[in-house]
Amino acid sequence: MTEYQLLVQRYDPEHDSKPQRQHYTVPGDHTTSVLDALLYVQHQLDPTLGLRWSCRMAICGSCGVMVNGIPKLGCKTFLRDYHTDIIIEPLAHFAVEKDLIVDMTQFLAHLSAIKPYLMNDYSGTAVHKQTPAQLAKYQQFSNCINCGLCYSACPQFGLNPEFLGPAAITLAQRYNLDSRDNGKAARMPQLNSKNGAWGCTFVGFCSDVCPKQLDPAAAVNQTKVESAKDFIISMFKP
Amino acid sequence: MNIPDSARKPYQSELSRWWWLKHRDYRLYMLREATVLPLLFFIGCLLYGLYCLTQGSAYWQSFQLFMQQGWVIALNLLAFAASLFHAKTFFALFPRVMPLAPAALMISGQWLATLLIATGVFLLFGGWL
Repeated sequence: MTEYQLLVQRYDPEHDSKPQRQHYTVPGDHTTSVLDALLYVQHQLDPTLGLRWSCRMAICGSCGVMVNGIPKLGCKTFLRDYHTDIIIEPLAHFAVEKDLIVDMTQFLAHLSAIKPYLMNDYSGTAVHKQTPAQLAKYQQFSNCINCGLCYSACPQFGLNPEFLGPAAITLAQRYNLDSRDNGKAARMPQLNSKNGAWGCTFVGFCSDVCPKQLDPAAAVNQTKVESAKDFIISMFKP
Repeated sequence: MNIPDSARKPYQSELSRWWWLKHRDYRLYMLREATVLPLLFFIGCLLYGLYCLTQGSAYWQSFQLFMQQGWVIALNLLAFAASLFHAKTFFALFPRVMPLAPAALMISGQWLATLLIATGVFLLFGGWL
């Protein structure tokens, strides 16, 4: 067992005016994740520590935190990779509710704004057939777990919370590329706006931090191509 | 359970104007965007050269003398390096935005096209074509 030094950002809305850091020493071996360490703190050292978590295997997307300034899933980040103090903060660019828990209302509003569901004229129990090639077009973008790491990586979202952001635009692209969907026309007005795809300046950090390697930056910039096409086509329409 | 709204007091931190100094990725992004600055100087030189060309041989010779100064050569070399760096980042990003072929093929294809066009322009203006 090795001892690791954690500096965890604490914020108690009932008593604090701003967050501060608290130091904890936790034992760990090569299998100890940041989430394990935080749960050790909560269970053994300080039960007042607030954090969000669920699956512990990078599927639920709940345990996103900033580790030494980089957005990470706590369960997928291991203490063994850090050789100095480990600074753990809540996800950047979101309002902090308590300690490591952030308010994701804005993120969820952006996700629902782009109509993330199949829109088509199929009725009843008709089977939606799709070839492997049609599936391959959007499959990469369908693996999002809504963890919000890309929003913490995105300075444009940090500067303008109205920007739809990487995950929402990737989700829109996922449905726009789906052969079973006819809802593109309903999504484009959102994506064409200044808070849509054009709010992105291709910093690209969102793709680096994505725990599912979706490459949201690529999806957002593919959407710019779609938006430009949509604009040109609209010029020739009465 | 009825929780009054007043129990909440979310803390929203402001993003400082120096956000781009925080990470290596952000600094590289700003470096990519800043490559336009030395290019502005190069474009200024180009426009100045065109202007001198229309004003007769005395102006043209003064332009040539201007271009031979060490600091002008240094800034133009910087502009050249900056545009190569920008090209490198652009060529790497392009296959992700328009995935028409395997990324490695598209990246090498773009460099090959750049090399061919640059050589063609060089030969054309050098009088070899």
